[in-house]
Amino acid sequence: MTDNYQTKPIVNLGFVPLTDSAPLIVAKEWGFFDDCGLDVRLQAQHSWSTLRDKLHAGVLDAAQMLAPMPIASSLGLSGPKTAVIAPMVLSLNGNAITLSNDLYDEILRTNDVAALTLPMASYLLREVVEQRKTKNRPKLRFASVFPYSCHHYQLLEWLQSAKLSTDDIDIIVIPPANMVDSLHCGDIDGYCVGGPWNAKAVRAGFGVTVLTSYDIWRDSAEKVLGVLSNYYDNNTDVVARLCRALKSACEWLEYTPNRFEAARALSSYDYLDAPIDVIAPSLIGSCLVKENLSPRHLPGYNQFFCPYKDINMPTYACGEWLLKQMVSAGQVTQKVADNFSVNDVFRADVYRQIFERKSL
Amino acid sequence: MANDAKLSILLIDDNDERAHAFKSALQKSRYDVVHLSSPTSGLLREVDALQPDIIVIDIESPSRDVLDSLHTISNFAPKPVVMFSDEEDTEIINQSVRSGVTAYIVGDTDPKRVRSILDAAVARFDEFQKLRKELDDTKQALEARKIIDQAKRMFMEQRGLDEQQAYAAMRKMAMDAGQKLEDMARTLITILKNLESGVPK
Repeated sequence: MTDNYQTKPIVNLGFVPLTDSAPLIVAKEWGFFDDCGLDVRLQAQHSWSTLRDKLHAGVLDAAQMLAPMPIASSLGLSGPKTAVIAPMVLSLNGNAITLSNDLYDEILRTNDVAALTLPMASYLLREVVEQRKTKNRPKLRFASVFPYSCHHYQLLEWLQSAKLSTDDIDIIVIPPANMVDSLHCGDIDGYCVGGPWNAKAVRAGFGVTVLTSYDIWRDSAEKVLGVLSNYYDNNTDVVARLCRALKSACEWLEYTPNRFEAARALSSYDYLDAPIDVIAPSLIGSCLVKENLSPRHLPGYNQFFCPYKDINMPTYACGEWLLKQMVSAGQVTQKVADNFSVNDVFRADVYRQIFERKSL
Repeated sequence: MANDAKLSILLIDDNDERAHAFKSALQKSRYDVVHLSSPTSGLLREVDALQPDIIVIDIESPSRDVLDSLHTISNFAPKPVVMFSDEEDTEIINQSVRSGVTAYIVGDTDPKRVRSILDAAVARFDEFQKLRKELDDTKQALEARKIIDQAKRMFMEQRGLDEQQAYAAMRKMAMDAGQKLEDMARTLITILKNLESGVPK
C-alpha cells in the first residue's frame, strides 16, 4: 500500500475555477484520478495568461484550457511558440451573454417592446447602437475573458449576425471574477463569460442573461485538456491515465443527481468559493435569465459527456472550426492558418489510442 | 540605458507591504511609482489615463489577462510588463516568457536588483518594439510595391502604355495630387476596375 502510494506519478493540473471545471474536481474528489493510479494535484490559477505561462514552463504538467489556447500556443500568438496538444475535449457549451439592467431597458425602449423573446436576436442591439450614434452617446462596451477564447468569438459572431463589429462596440478583456462588479458599476454594458458568473449577476439583480453559447454555436468544444507535446512524448502513459480518469468523471456527471453532488463540491472554498445557488442551475440545465422571470430550460447548458456520440474526442473538424474563428477575429492571417496543421494540436489519434486500447 | 529621463511605473499589487517595499527600493531613482491595489474593471482606463512606461504586476493577479490583451485586441499601445512572483519556479518561468516583453521579478525587493530588472525590461522592450516596427515597415513596403505594380499593369493594359510611361504617369498624378504613390495606385485600381466593369464591350 505504502509502496504503491509512493510510486504514483504526481501530476500538477492547472485550472481556472469555473462551473465547467467540474470534471477535474469530480475526478479528484470522487477518486477517479486515484483509481487510475495518479497523484493529481489541482492547482487553481487566477488568470489564463499565468496558467499558459506555467504550462509552457513545465511548472504545470497539464491544464484545463480554453479550447483555442493550445492552437494559439502552437502558433506562437500567445507567448513564445510552444507545441501544446489537446488529447481530449472536457466540455461543450457553458458560456452566456449577460447585459446590464440599463442596457436591457434601453433595448426595450429603443425597440419599443415590452419584453424580449429569448434567446435575444442581435438586431435589437443594432437599433441601440444606431440610436446612440445619432445621439452622439458613447459606444457600448462589452467584455470577454481572453482574446483566444470561445467567449470572444461567440460575442463577435453574435454581433456579426446583426452586422455589428468592434467598430460599433468595444470589446475588452476582464477576468471572470471581476465581471459582475464591472457590470454593476457601469464600466461595461455586457459580457460573455462562463458559469457561475452569469447566474451570479442574475441572482444579484445586476443583469439579464439574454442568450447562451449553446444558442450561438450549438454543441461546440469549450474546454480541453492541454499538455506540452514533449510532456506527452515523455509521459504517454500518464497522459493516458489522466484522460481515462477525466472521461470517467465526465461520464459520472451525465447523471443529473450526480450534478447536484458536483455543485456542492464545486461551491467549497477550495474550488469556486461561491454559493451553490449560482453553480447548480447551469449544471442541471437551467439558465437563470432575470430576477423574477422563470429560467430557460437548456439541457445542454453544460455538457461533459454524451452516451450516443463521443463528444470528448478532439476532432480535426473542431480544431479547424476554432482556427477559422481566429482568422475571422483577425488574430491570424488566412495564409498562416492554411499552413497550420490542426491535427498536430487536436490529437484525435492520441484520444483513439487511449480509449480503443481500453475497450480491447 | 543611455538616457536618464523619468519613467513612470504603474504598480498593481494587493500586497501593500510588498508594494511599499518596492516603492522604497525605487526612491531617488529615475522611476516614479503609482500604486494601484486590487483594480477591477477600471484597469484599462487607469492604464490609458496614466500612460505608464512600465507596468509591474503580481503574477497571481487576475488582472494579468487584461494586460495580456493589450497586445492583441485593444487600441492601447503595448507596454513592458514586469511581474512579481513569490514562487521558486520563477527562473523556469522566466526562460519561457515572451522574450523582450515581460520579465519576472522574484519576491524580494532588493533595491539594486529591482532597478536592474526594470532597466533590463525597458531596454529589451524598446529593442523588441524596434524590431517589430522594422518588420511592420518591411511588410508594408512589400505591400505597397504589390499595389503599385498592380496599378501599373492595369494602366498599361487599358491605355496601351509601356512600363516606363505608365510609371511616369502615375508618379505625376501622385505628385499633382500631393499623394503618396501607393495611395494614388489604390485609387487608380478602383477607378480602372470600375471602368472595366462599367463599360459594355
